[in-house]
Amino acid sequence: MKKFIPFFLLAILLVTACSETSTNTKDWTEASWDEIEAAADGTVVRLYMWGGDEGINDYIDNYVTPQVEDRYGVSLKRVPLDTPEILQKLQTEKQANKQNGSIDVIWINGENFKNAKENELLIGSFTEVLPNFNDYYNTEDPAFQTDFGTEVEGMEAPWGKVQFVFHYDSEQIKNPPATMEELKTWITENPGKFTYPRAEEFTGNAFLRHVLYAQAEKPPDIYEQPLEENDITPTAERTWSYLNEIENDLWRSGEHYPNSLTELDRLYSQGEVWMTMGYNESRAESLIEEGVFPESTRSFVMEPGSIGNTHFLSIPFNSPNQPGALAAINFMLSPEAQLEKYKPNDWGENTPISFEQLPEDIKKEFKAVERGESVLSTEELEESFLPESEAAYVDWMKEQWFNEVVQK
Amino acid sequence: MIRKKAMFLSLTLLFFIFPLTIMLLQSISAPWRFHTGQGIDWGWQGFSLLFQNPQLWEATFTSIWIGFAVLFINITIGLFTGKALASYTSYGKPWLEALLLSPILIPSLAIAMGLHLFMIRVGLADTIWGVMLIHLVPTVPYSIKIFHNSYQQMGKAMMEQPHILGAGFWTQVFTVELPLLRPAIRSLTFLTIVISLSQYAITAIIGGGRVLTLPLVFFPFLDNANTSIMAAFSIWFALIPVFMYIIIEALMMFLPYSRLPWRNHR
Amino acid sequence: MKLFKNKIFLLFLPAAIFMILPFYGFFHALTQSTGGEGLAHYEEILSSERFLSSVWFSIRTAGIATIISIILGLVFTKLFHPLLNNTFPRLMVWIPMLFPHFVWGYMVILIFSETGWMAQTLVAAGWLGDTSNFPVWTRDPEGIGIIVTYVWKEVPLVILLLFPVYASIRPEFYALVNSLGGNAWHRLTTVDLPHLLPVLVESFLIIFSFTLAAYEVPALIGTTFPEMISVLGYEWFYGSSWEDRPLAFAAMVMTSLFLLILTLIGYFGLSRRRWRAMRGDRA
Repeated sequence: MKKFIPFFLLAILLVTACSETSTNTKDWTEASWDEIEAAADGTVVRLYMWGGDEGINDYIDNYVTPQVEDRYGVSLKRVPLDTPEILQKLQTEKQANKQNGSIDVIWINGENFKNAKENELLIGSFTEVLPNFNDYYNTEDPAFQTDFGTEVEGMEAPWGKVQFVFHYDSEQIKNPPATMEELKTWITENPGKFTYPRAEEFTGNAFLRHVLYAQAEKPPDIYEQPLEENDITPTAERTWSYLNEIENDLWRSGEHYPNSLTELDRLYSQGEVWMTMGYNESRAESLIEEGVFPESTRSFVMEPGSIGNTHFLSIPFNSPNQPGALAAINFMLSPEAQLEKYKPNDWGENTPISFEQLPEDIKKEFKAVERGESVLSTEELEESFLPESEAAYVDWMKEQWFNEVVQK
Repeated sequence: MIRKKAMFLSLTLLFFIFPLTIMLLQSISAPWRFHTGQGIDWGWQGFSLLFQNPQLWEATFTSIWIGFAVLFINITIGLFTGKALASYTSYGKPWLEALLLSPILIPSLAIAMGLHLFMIRVGLADTIWGVMLIHLVPTVPYSIKIFHNSYQQMGKAMMEQPHILGAGFWTQVFTVELPLLRPAIRSLTFLTIVISLSQYAITAIIGGGRVLTLPLVFFPFLDNANTSIMAAFSIWFALIPVFMYIIIEALMMFLPYSRLPWRNHR
Repeated sequence: MKLFKNKIFLLFLPAAIFMILPFYGFFHALTQSTGGEGLAHYEEILSSERFLSSVWFSIRTAGIATIISIILGLVFTKLFHPLLNNTFPRLMVWIPMLFPHFVWGYMVILIFSETGWMAQTLVAAGWLGDTSNFPVWTRDPEGIGIIVTYVWKEVPLVILLLFPVYASIRPEFYALVNSLGGNAWHRLTTVDLPHLLPVLVESFLIIFSFTLAAYEVPALIGTTFPEMISVLGYEWFYGSSWEDRPLAFAAMVMTSLFLLILTLIGYFGLSRRRWRAMRGDRA
């Protein structure tokens, strides 16, 4: 029983006698791919990502993990943790000057990427060494150059592309609204049947930015402009009055906004509300298959358009296994992995890959994938596509929404 | 007395047994939709989906291992401190007690964040040892409390007598005190293990995701629309303290004066 | 007594080492909360309407939950403590303690939400027209869901803490009150309460501080506004704008200080009474 006393003492002694030797002396972002592959063989890679979607988890656990083991001898371990928490952890490790961390790959975009980049939590530019990125992606695509207005500079590799859509039950609603104004009318006519997640939540924030885009003279006024609160005051005023006008007719009269998208999905699945929404135009497919969403679920987009973005994979500054991380990311960008991800059974999300650069047979396979009835046509999605605004708008929205809508 | 018993039974049934039953029933049937006139659709889908989760077993074993270690350290610290408090009688005692209670009064999130840096420096972050240490913070004050109370119930005479009879410190602990502390150890087993199983935020911070415990797997799913999986998972959570309680109960049989078949002379 | 003197300090050693953990953490949080700018962050949160309303909501919700738990636990133990001597009834009472708080919160949602078990059953039985007529008891602005979850979980804890004390009250005390012509009220005020007071104060402090500062349950079952202080702190902490982080620390430090002061007041109030009781206690 006395054993733990020396243990504590030892721990305290260690605080003072702490000097960690760095093991990341080699800069792998300059190495040749053969060298990287050789170094990756037989290593463990820890992929930290949000773990709240079973379809996505299944895709990683049942497809990616065995494949990278097969190809590179890399054993991939998925760790479920929210991105802000991951960055918080990295930030503290940076403060403690811990060069030998535990995270190898993170899933990131938007304001999280901005934070990570500004606080130098990433290893730096690495996309150039990835053969699959160079071969199959349009590396000059503006969608890969900036992420919510932040210059990417090769610090993250595009993994997926999604577009915001609304879902509705086609048995309940014959003609879904086509503009934000029509949505307002619909909400007034169907009180209690619509709500959106709170602004702190990823999807809820995106909904609010759609309202902001719609209230601007034209959407580029928002997404082409850096955030200047004075400049957008009239637009902001219109946005708050729109939101306050619909509030009384929202589910529970707007007294409670769902804490998460899953909560909204559950309300939709139980028929309490008649619409749900989300980034990823095809996410309804697996939910329909699971029986969570009704079979008659369809999706729609509204004027002035729907926001789409790219999400990325990146490597933290203190990844203990950079070659393994590079190998794993390279595989996740490969046409096969992207094709599997595109199929609606698990994840079903769109790919950032460039079809022109693909070999004929794979291109055919992509074309042959039936994305499902709930997914809008590629043309319709592309036509309504709107880019993301600067990341600063996301935070601004979080704060202002609480002051202007919830507390009023 | 009989009326009292009936009242007791109906209250416990309504408030303690009934919710457990609901959870059990939900875990072995498809999500309910009674209001649409549907009946119960039995099936093991909830549990089978739960066991398909490749992380479940790893998380379960990690949680149990952490639970045992935390319990053991708790008993040790609680026993020493409880005994010391019970035999300590000076004016500063209430302040000392307040001080020992304070770790559960400071939000554990603040403590964990503050300790993270320290844990990284000593190499305890991202390790199971670090998680065990941080789980001591919300549990040890309870243990001290419980042991202190038990020692006070025991009375000073019980502690002085073996000393007068010439028993050494450890002999006294094992032959006199531990057997009398059995009820305290039982309460402690429940408390510490359930508290340890409840920690999502501080485990995530100190364990950094490397130490995968059950709440880390469970928490991201809390809003899941499939109530059967969630009910099955909830039941799984409750089985762990029960399992550990049985083991502790078995271990306690080896204490002197326990009702073991071969030394049942009490 | 002299024989024990040296040993007592040795016995406190493990606890003293343990205390390094929370205190190191707390002081680190304290440094972070000033962020090298003195009390600026404290001024900022104290002038934030959002923070102040969450403070009020937290104290109110935690206070109600704690008081109800203690009263129910006290009544239950008073009525049934002889029965609790048996293992089986005791285990039944402890059932809610088997579950982590957030799991129990999930169960409250399962039973009491507008589409939960209770609403479904009432509709199926024809007593309620539609599930939407069911009152809003979870994720409600009054904090009902939070209070229900906490009371349900904490009543067994109160019973656990009170039961040993009740079991130790000698029946002779009641007999004495009876023979002096006292009634039930006298028995409660002259026998039960003096014995129970220290434990009641402690239970209050433990439960109140837990319900005030815990994150998981309000995050699950709370609503958008008003929000519990822990939820707000977590949001500031993990929110994407990292400038808010010192605010989170400031909010946590203020909560801690408030609770520590409350504890000191509680213990100070008890100290004299306890001191007297201890002198007479089986010495």
